Amino acid sequence: MSATIDEKALQLRVAEIIIAELKLQDITAETFDPDLDLVDEIGIDSMDLATIVLVLQDEYAVKIDEDDYTKLRTIGLIAGYIQERLQAKA
Amino acid sequence: MNATRPSSTQKYKFADLLAGPAVRERWERVRKYFFLRESTYDMTSRCNIRCDGCYYYAGEKQFATDTGDPEAWRELMRQEKARGITFVVLAGAEPALVPGLLQVCYDEIPLGCIATNGVKRIDDSVGYKIHVSVWGSDATSLRVRKQKEMLEKQIGNYRGDNRAVFVYTFTRDNIDEAAPVIKQLSDNGCRVTFNMFSAPEGYEGTLVHTEETLAKTRSVMLDLLERYPGHVLFSPYSAVAHTHRLGLHGLYGCPYPRKNPSTDIGLGRSFRQYRSDLTWDRAAACCVPDTDCADCRHYAAGSAVVTSKLYRHATDPDTFKAWLDYVDTYLAVWVKGYEKGENLCRGIVEPPEG
Repeated sequence: MSATIDEKALQLRVAEIIIAELKLQDITAETFDPDLDLVDEIGIDSMDLATIVLVLQDEYAVKIDEDDYTKLRTIGLIAGYIQERLQAKA
Repeated sequence: MNATRPSSTQKYKFADLLAGPAVRERWERVRKYFFLRESTYDMTSRCNIRCDGCYYYAGEKQFATDTGDPEAWRELMRQEKARGITFVVLAGAEPALVPGLLQVCYDEIPLGCIATNGVKRIDDSVGYKIHVSVWGSDATSLRVRKQKEMLEKQIGNYRGDNRAVFVYTFTRDNIDEAAPVIKQLSDNGCRVTFNMFSAPEGYEGTLVHTEETLAKTRSVMLDLLERYPGHVLFSPYSAVAHTHRLGLHGLYGCPYPRKNPSTDIGLGRSFRQYRSDLTWDRAAACCVPDTDCADCRHYAAGSAVVTSKLYRHATDPDTFKAWLDYVDTYLAVWVKGYEKGENLCRGIVEPPEG
């Protein structure tokens, strides 16, 4: 895997994972606004977020610190965080 | 039995942890309940007994003026539902004394639990889980709770009632009484879980655990779990987490507002503890207010403290299975209709480091 991933592709994949893990309906990765607040506007809770984080760690082989959860409020922020971690690994 | 802690060099993917069918099935089963968001409510400042070491009669909350108006409670429940609360815990001092208010809460938010001493039966129409507190043999109850034949009364009220879970609180003094009490409960078809006495702030009585009584309690819990698997709702990891010398806050870090200033997500954002005057105070909000946090090993606290630490337990197969057992236990104890599965991890797993 290269050190960085196309930002749009990364956001789409994060959206797919969130949709699959939370079993969201009436939304697709393409229509998922990357700036939507996952807590305030989607209503996800800490357990949902922990699940998503574990799946993302598997997918991208990066470590997401427990203390950083609260920063991961949107798909855009999550994708940016993963990108940073991938670059740090390179 | 020796405790195991995985090597820090051992790395597992989350997908690896979920690979076994039994683990996958349990994970899918418990995650359906991730939507539960709790808050707790003191229903009245009155009680029909007075116990040594009672949490309710510690601190300021006991002086709140009761709100007996059912419509005020109905409005509160509607507001709570609107802000995302899906699970209510009705407690302090004795909820059974205000049956009309319990019915109002149940009509508005149908998932929840009532903490009661079990002396007065709560009507079947209130379909919450009911936790009946047991503090030892009848001789001990007479001494500590000033009630004669308390266990017989409690069993008489809740035998065969699938809402009821008896909660045996281990104090420093009643560890040896657990075996006959659990046998009596089991013989009567009652289900039971375990709690640990955790000192209220400023408490100077004789019930506080020592390292020696923590170790002894763990051993008794594990023995009773083996002997009465159909009636004891518990897991080996539950015993470890609740009898550890460090306490729940020291082991895991408490997510309740009283110890957690963050309002970003989770309990720090959503949890409130209402007094009987329908006010709440963020600085005091946790599942059992006025507990000395350093001594907290409450079963109620653990239900959130340990359960919320999914990430920390997704390290290796045994630790993850132990966490699943803990969550399975929590759901069986707190959620009506959820039946406990067999424990997946029979060994002793040490809590993961934070």
